[in-house]
Amino acid sequence: MNSHLPTPAVVSAILPLTADTSLLTLHTEPYHPVASSFLPGQFLQLSLPGIGEIPLSYCGVPSRDGSIELCIRHVGHVTTPLKSAVPGDAVGVRGPFGRGFPLSAYAGQDLLLIAGGLGMAPLRSLLLLLLKQRGMWGDVTVLYGAREAGALLFIDELLELQKRGDIELLLAVDHPGHCLEGPPDCRIALLPALLDQLTVDPDRTCAALCGPPVVYPLLVSGLRRLGLADSRIHLSLERRMKCGVGLCGHCAVGTRFCCVDGPVFSCAELAGIEEALV
Amino acid sequence: MATQFITNHNLEALLNRLRRYAELHGPVRGDDGVVRFAALTPGTLPDLSAIRTLLPPKKYLLYPRETILNYTADAGYQLPVEVTPPLILFGLHPCDLAGIDYLDRIFLGDDPDPLYAARRSALTLIGISCTPDEFCSCHLSPSPLKTLSDLFLSSVEGGFVVSSGSPRGDELLEGVKEILEERDIAVPEDTRRFFGHAVSAQVRPELDATLPEWQELADACLGCGACSLCCPTCSCFDVLEFGGLDGRSAVRVGQWDNCLFKCHAEVAGGMSFRKNRAERFRYRYRHKYRGFGPLQGIPSCVGCGRCRVVCPAGLDLRPLAERLEEVTP
Repeated sequence: MNSHLPTPAVVSAILPLTADTSLLTLHTEPYHPVASSFLPGQFLQLSLPGIGEIPLSYCGVPSRDGSIELCIRHVGHVTTPLKSAVPGDAVGVRGPFGRGFPLSAYAGQDLLLIAGGLGMAPLRSLLLLLLKQRGMWGDVTVLYGAREAGALLFIDELLELQKRGDIELLLAVDHPGHCLEGPPDCRIALLPALLDQLTVDPDRTCAALCGPPVVYPLLVSGLRRLGLADSRIHLSLERRMKCGVGLCGHCAVGTRFCCVDGPVFSCAELAGIEEALV
Repeated sequence: MATQFITNHNLEALLNRLRRYAELHGPVRGDDGVVRFAALTPGTLPDLSAIRTLLPPKKYLLYPRETILNYTADAGYQLPVEVTPPLILFGLHPCDLAGIDYLDRIFLGDDPDPLYAARRSALTLIGISCTPDEFCSCHLSPSPLKTLSDLFLSSVEGGFVVSSGSPRGDELLEGVKEILEERDIAVPEDTRRFFGHAVSAQVRPELDATLPEWQELADACLGCGACSLCCPTCSCFDVLEFGGLDGRSAVRVGQWDNCLFKCHAEVAGGMSFRKNRAERFRYRYRHKYRGFGPLQGIPSCVGCGRCRVVCPAGLDLRPLAERLEEVTP
């Protein structure tokens, strides 16, 4: 496999999730590593011919049939035209790239999955994979915050999992928004406030975070207050990653490349690094 | 010790012979007074007095703007097919050789860049010794980068001692042996001795963002990016894609980018991870003196002095580096 050359893929479905966000399902050749062998938290590069290429976190689980799920917010020069994609459209994919969440370190641990807004995308991938071997882990608690109830992604899926007893779910929205009926027990608060409701055993708990950069400092200090060591807190960083393979020079965090050494870093690895948590 | 010696007088004959093997490029002073790597056609002599060319030899390996992928609706994305005829680069100073070593470490790593690899294997490198001027800093700190060349010319009284550094160099030496003389000459040390030193993996504290120097540099910087354009080891590239008018084809282009530009760290939505110029200076500093990714701990500054020469504001990171990296001059 040449990591510089996109593999052809075809749009098989595009499902609007909210006003500005969709779940895009692609198909590439069966057993292709870009679809079959990634860890949640890793990313791929999606090419839209004639428009450009962008890094995107995987949103689903590895598949043998070549299908790939991606959660797209239509705000950029590639994601905006993707809004009008239809099944059958040709795209290209390269990957998987980077380092994902440390699944092997999670065995037997209680897990906190903390997502802000679109940060649910890679954490859904992690959650779905965790649920495939539910017995391997302790309690799984999902803390999810969005700006309003209408912007909560995959909310039906999450409520269903909560109902089944697979996960605990804590929700928060910044403001009530225009939805007359939000999900049950959804607090109107900022995401870090949900941490105050928790009691955890800090020696057997790991946290996986993904959200906008602005929430990280508050979440990290909240988790530290709960007693979690920095090595137990992993977060996914966003950077401008053009090549995905450590060549183009845009995404360094300190002296490490986000695209190769990340995008998932432990808080301990980021200690003292300027601009790591903006 | 018996060495291969060529007289100054025979240098032109050497260039003529080398042209039989491949196209020959070297430092040429243009009518505009600028010294640049350009074709050494018959009758054109290299300017061996020039300390540095405006652009380093990276332009032969990473083009300022180039197609990196072609797309057609029928064939999908394809790597461009490029003919890379052999090319001899003559007159490379040790710093430029070290710069090529640095680029090799980036682009010929575990997952080699196909375009770079093809161009690199087509290159024959002929180095030459030099005398540092006041802008050079190769001699201020030992560098782990190597100054590998196929042939190397060490300047001595009346000519050069020619030595080979590769099988390709042996082949060239053999081909030009009738214009070489075997002489017992003591070869003087040259600036290659500052390169190729193992450095101990030192864990340095993260840069102190509160140092006033960062803001002083940022205040004076015009943000023109000349320093990285002319840097032998600056290899950031941006990637752009252009759709064809037929609606069925596209080209993806890579072009030199610059970490002092505001857009370098911008992501969708206009968010930037290096909003102010002082942050961008620290980014440049980290790359130049501490190295990124797998090259952490390997400074990428080879001391060629180009950035100090071209900066319209006369800025220089070196004094700060000498202090922060504990380099003893």
